[in-house]
Amino acid sequence: MTLLAQAPVPRDVGVFEWLFDPASWTGSDGILVSLADTVILCSVVVVVATVTMVPLASWLAHTRRGEVSVSWMVTLSRAIPTFAVAGLLVPISLRIGWGFEPWPILIALLLLALPPIFLNTYTAIQQVDPGAVDAARAMGYSETSVLVRVELALATAVILAGVRVAAVTVVATEPIRAFLGGDGLGRYVRDGLGQNNDGLLIAGAILVAGLAGLTALVFRLIEGFALPEGVRRLATTATR
Amino acid sequence: MNAVFAQAPNPIVRWEYFIDEWDQIQSALLEHLELTVYAVGLGLIASAGLSAIALRYRWALAPINGFTAFLYTIPSVALFGILVPYFGLSRLTAVLPLAAYTLLILVTNIVAGFNAVSPEVREAADSMGMTPTRKVLQVELPLAMPYIIAGLRVAVVSTVGIVTVAAIIGQGGLGRLILDGLRRAFWTPMTIGAVLSILLALALDGLILGVGRWLTPWAQRARRAP
Amino acid sequence: MASIFTREKGRRRRRVEPSPCLHVFCSCLADDRFRDIAYDVGARLPSLDRTKGTTIGAIAIKLQDVSKQFEGAATPAVTSLDLDIEEGSIVVLIGPSGCGKTTTLRMINRLIEPTSGRIDINGEDVTQRPVAELRREIGYVIQQVGLFPHQTIAANIATVPKMLGWEKQRISDRIEELANLVGLEPSLLDRYPDELSGGQQQRVGVARALAADPPVLLMDEPFGAVDPIVRIRLQDELLELQARVGKTIVLVTHDIDEALKIADRIALLNVGGILEQYSPPDELLAEPANRFVEEFVGEDRSVKRLQLRTVADLPFNRGPVVAATDGAAAARNIMEEYATEWIGVTSDDVFLGWVHADDVQDNVSLESVPRSVPAAQVQPGSTLRNAMQIIMTSHTSTAVIEDEGRFGGIVTLELIRASLEAEPGQ
Repeated sequence: MTLLAQAPVPRDVGVFEWLFDPASWTGSDGILVSLADTVILCSVVVVVATVTMVPLASWLAHTRRGEVSVSWMVTLSRAIPTFAVAGLLVPISLRIGWGFEPWPILIALLLLALPPIFLNTYTAIQQVDPGAVDAARAMGYSETSVLVRVELALATAVILAGVRVAAVTVVATEPIRAFLGGDGLGRYVRDGLGQNNDGLLIAGAILVAGLAGLTALVFRLIEGFALPEGVRRLATTATR
Repeated sequence: MNAVFAQAPNPIVRWEYFIDEWDQIQSALLEHLELTVYAVGLGLIASAGLSAIALRYRWALAPINGFTAFLYTIPSVALFGILVPYFGLSRLTAVLPLAAYTLLILVTNIVAGFNAVSPEVREAADSMGMTPTRKVLQVELPLAMPYIIAGLRVAVVSTVGIVTVAAIIGQGGLGRLILDGLRRAFWTPMTIGAVLSILLALALDGLILGVGRWLTPWAQRARRAP
Repeated sequence: MASIFTREKGRRRRRVEPSPCLHVFCSCLADDRFRDIAYDVGARLPSLDRTKGTTIGAIAIKLQDVSKQFEGAATPAVTSLDLDIEEGSIVVLIGPSGCGKTTTLRMINRLIEPTSGRIDINGEDVTQRPVAELRREIGYVIQQVGLFPHQTIAANIATVPKMLGWEKQRISDRIEELANLVGLEPSLLDRYPDELSGGQQQRVGVARALAADPPVLLMDEPFGAVDPIVRIRLQDELLELQARVGKTIVLVTHDIDEALKIADRIALLNVGGILEQYSPPDELLAEPANRFVEEFVGEDRSVKRLQLRTVADLPFNRGPVVAATDGAAAARNIMEEYATEWIGVTSDDVFLGWVHADDVQDNVSLESVPRSVPAAQVQPGSTLRNAMQIIMTSHTSTAVIEDEGRFGGIVTLELIRASLEAEPGQ
């Protein structure tokens, strides 16, 4: 519970001095801890979103149902002011005894992550070459096999792109957590603002932005290397 | 700290607050609206310019897209934070990043809209002796409108959302209520702030949708009878 | 000449039943589908007075040594083209893929700029004016029409007049006039383009092109996107339109039959934009300049020529026909002269029917003897091709020309064939 705690950083220390000082990185208020905090939360969100949305969306697309759910998802993705939702969830969460953290921010971030993964998976499966699907069926694959071995395989690139978008969005939005009573990498911006410490403020901003960029990079690399050549060629950036 | 909060007799919403503090709520709402309008307005102007460049010089499209996408991925907290030392806790510090975030969707949609105008319509316009300006204003812009409106809707809704985050630098409109409530351990303003910002987003979305429909009467007619 | 009316010798007839074909013919008459076969519906070529390239009018459009080479292309699109297009004429540019016909068309209104050469419209070099101004005086119609989807039909048509600053009343009068001219129902004027059928959209395209009354009309495969029935109707309407407004029209098509039907002159281009022949349709068919032209117009070019002439073009031939008042003896003489067993009988210049020799009796008026209705009948406006078709499908060898109720002579396959030997243009 660090809402009112003072960060152990001297004022007006240069940004880069602070960043490169190993002391800043260690300790319970250090960068590493905050980083871990953030990464863990974001990973949980992304994993949960992927594990729930990919099977759901691919099943819906495969069986050609749920066109309506697509438009729900689109509306959801647009009408959610995340800060507002997280803010709304805090009192509710406290009321029902689930505490300050991590539920409000987790749920808010989850809502943010669901649409890109759902939409990309749905569209990708829908767009799979029907000829390939027919051929697979004709060769005697069971429906599940068709879905998993053919459709998902071909759709992987686009699905992965959706996961990337979700991950980057989650990582980029996570810092608001620091303003809602939590910690994570955004705490340095919060503390910098609170203490009028420009150096800390800028350093915090760099850390936060850096992590978002790193996430994007890592995912692009995964997409680049982990996919078979043929599948990679099918990738279109469906969303951004 | 948990214990402290749990003890306070706090309903989700205390209605007296709502009535007493109506002025404050109103001003927060207005501020929120203002910031949104400034940001989207600025973003629209900048996007129009960038789109014009991208449409005129094909090679510029990729770099421009890359640039706007890059801006979009910078976390809002970071972007607000970075600008504070330079512009202080002012409107400008809030509006600049907000406008920057709209660039990606607006440029993408404006370019897509203009590209969607079919070549034969363009050729017809040219062949009738339309000057380039007239062609853009009378033919291409109206036909690109659906895309532009769609982009505006997304831009406005997402801006409303990010304005709440700007509360961290004191410019948050309804977000101020949220933070305020958090600080005072008082839920009512948090709830009100959150609900109102969602409602504002939906209302503006509906408004733009309506304006869009009004501007594009031809798209509303039933498809052709044989 | 085998006649449907010949029969084996020695058989007497009472009722006239010349052959089973008449049965077929009569039942054909009853069946609407065959109406057009038995009775030619008449002119598919309106404005028979249209002079086909024989007048020397003012040159409206002049292409001088025009060439176009696209960047990166191996061969030029158009090569040193010289073309004089007369005012008030329809010139069709036609040729195989890659012959530069569309490119040439689009150089006239400067949608494409020539690499070299000069194009004049009414004596003025097209590059001398601002291009937008030039284009407002040229109508342009393309296959996909390109109507503005976001404006009503009326607004679409009014585009150029608005640009030229016409007053509202003048514009709305003009729209009404054009709707009439192109055959567009007024109720469609407030609709949007996607509510109209393909044929209607094409008509709007033409109306829009003609709105500011330009002297020149350019058309790029205008009827290609509609179905064949509509296409024929649009072609006919174009000809009727031209008879009324007399524009200078340059039209690009890949359909040789369309070209033959509507052109005053045809410019046949070869790949690379080389002009192989530039002449009126009949001349193109009768006197192809070289092997390429021959192959392009097709092996059946003689038959195609028959589409370009009408029955009225044939010299009058009375055939074995007598007036009822001429009497039986005259009738027998004629029959002997023509070596036929059937004689045609007219009364007051109206053709009554064919009478068989056996039924001709000395003291009986030719009017009161049994007779059969002609199995093949044409009108002066029928094309020779239709006449040939009617004669062949009716199993007769003679068709009767019915000219607004009056007898106009006869047509035979021999006469049709002989007409082909005449010089083109006669």
